[in-house]
Amino acid sequence: MSADEAPGLYVESTIIMTTVRVVAPFVLTFALFIMFHGADSPGGGFQGGVITGSVVMMLAFAFGIDSTRQWLDVRIVAALASGGVLVFAGIGLGAIALGGQFLQYNVYKPYYYEASKYGIELVELGIGGIVASVAIGLFFLLAAGFGYVTGEGER
Amino acid sequence: MTVDVLQLDLLTSRYNYYAVVLLLGIGLYTLIESPDLVKKVIGMNIFQTGIFLFFITLAYRTGASPPVVTDGGGPYVSPLPHVLILTAIVVGVSLTAVALALIVRIYSEYGTLDEDTLEELYYD
Amino acid sequence: MSLTLLEGSLLVFVLCCALGAALLKDTMASVIAFAAYSLGISIIWLVLQAPDVGLTEAAVGAGIMTILFLIALANTVTPDVDSLFESVRWRTVALVGAFVLVMAATIPSLPAIGDPTAPVVGGEVTQYYLANAYKETQVHNAVTAVLAAYRGFDTLGEAVVVFSAGVVALSVLRREVFA
Repeated sequence: MSADEAPGLYVESTIIMTTVRVVAPFVLTFALFIMFHGADSPGGGFQGGVITGSVVMMLAFAFGIDSTRQWLDVRIVAALASGGVLVFAGIGLGAIALGGQFLQYNVYKPYYYEASKYGIELVELGIGGIVASVAIGLFFLLAAGFGYVTGEGER
Repeated sequence: MTVDVLQLDLLTSRYNYYAVVLLLGIGLYTLIESPDLVKKVIGMNIFQTGIFLFFITLAYRTGASPPVVTDGGGPYVSPLPHVLILTAIVVGVSLTAVALALIVRIYSEYGTLDEDTLEELYYD
Repeated sequence: MSLTLLEGSLLVFVLCCALGAALLKDTMASVIAFAAYSLGISIIWLVLQAPDVGLTEAAVGAGIMTILFLIALANTVTPDVDSLFESVRWRTVALVGAFVLVMAATIPSLPAIGDPTAPVVGGEVTQYYLANAYKETQVHNAVTAVLAAYRGFDTLGEAVVVFSAGVVALSVLRREVFA
């Protein structure tokens, strides 16, 4: 909504802003539903992750890319991407540490009820984090273009 | 051996495979012929989706339901090709994004996305 | 399974959109044709009973990918076009036509669509997954079970590929958006 957007990329439109404001919470809820319910219905990390990514793109489409980037705090996006990889690899290697094989979920059984199901859910959440944050990051990157410093995106 | 590519019973029982080869052809044509680099990336994506269609068609079974396994349900379609293609789609979008990043970089370096102009500029 | 009207029209729609994306001269029009193509093909995934793939394709192809293309176009300036379609070069058409014919020659040896005895559907691997997925992983969705458990190592590789795509784009564009 700031006036100093890159010219040509952003046009303020009441219709788009109102629609996105109404639709975005539902799409985000749907994305999280898809991500958390990958075990018993169609869905999972990859599917939920891309829908989460498209929510942020929708917001950027309505409210301008630079304002969305400042509102979102991209450090969270970077942390989510690396955290996802660490969660996935951590669960896989943790099974080796407990004497099983890579990603052998049932070695977690003494520690948690239905270890296999929740292990898979956790891995799916890790994947969702990676996919969503990389999609968002790539979008911001391509929108920013090649390395000239505009001052707008700088903190 | 006669290669009877266009028999009618083949067309009615294996129609998706004809769509696959046509999509591969369209994608390949765009990759070779289009002068614009962005359109070459689109062609690559069409080629890719053709292969996806091949895999998902192989997984299909008449009258089957999606592979969410419950007691007494079935028959189900094969889950394995779905997994392969699911990951391939997401890797495909990352690939596209990297290609577009390279294109934006090329544009800022040379000021054009036309293949022939780029070639001239490169060899000068 | 025989060809139904829905599938036939979807395939025709998808092929027309692909042709449009390939032959329209304006890059923006080509991107929009590609978005329609992705939407059509995600409906085909639903018809072929692959809801997981359809969900991903709809969000990726019609959503994220289109936006990425549009953003890339906004960062570059394409010259004005003088005609609606590209001129077709028949030399390339002949080459691609030969490729298509060679590929089409393998179709008669493929199993019919939906054949329950086909190697992929009736094969040992598929039947093992369907019979044991719930027992071994306590997950009803066999796609999730194969993705995260049976082929978990493969999936870790794919996730890292996605992650490194982000890293590569950062280094290609030399841009610090994560500051």
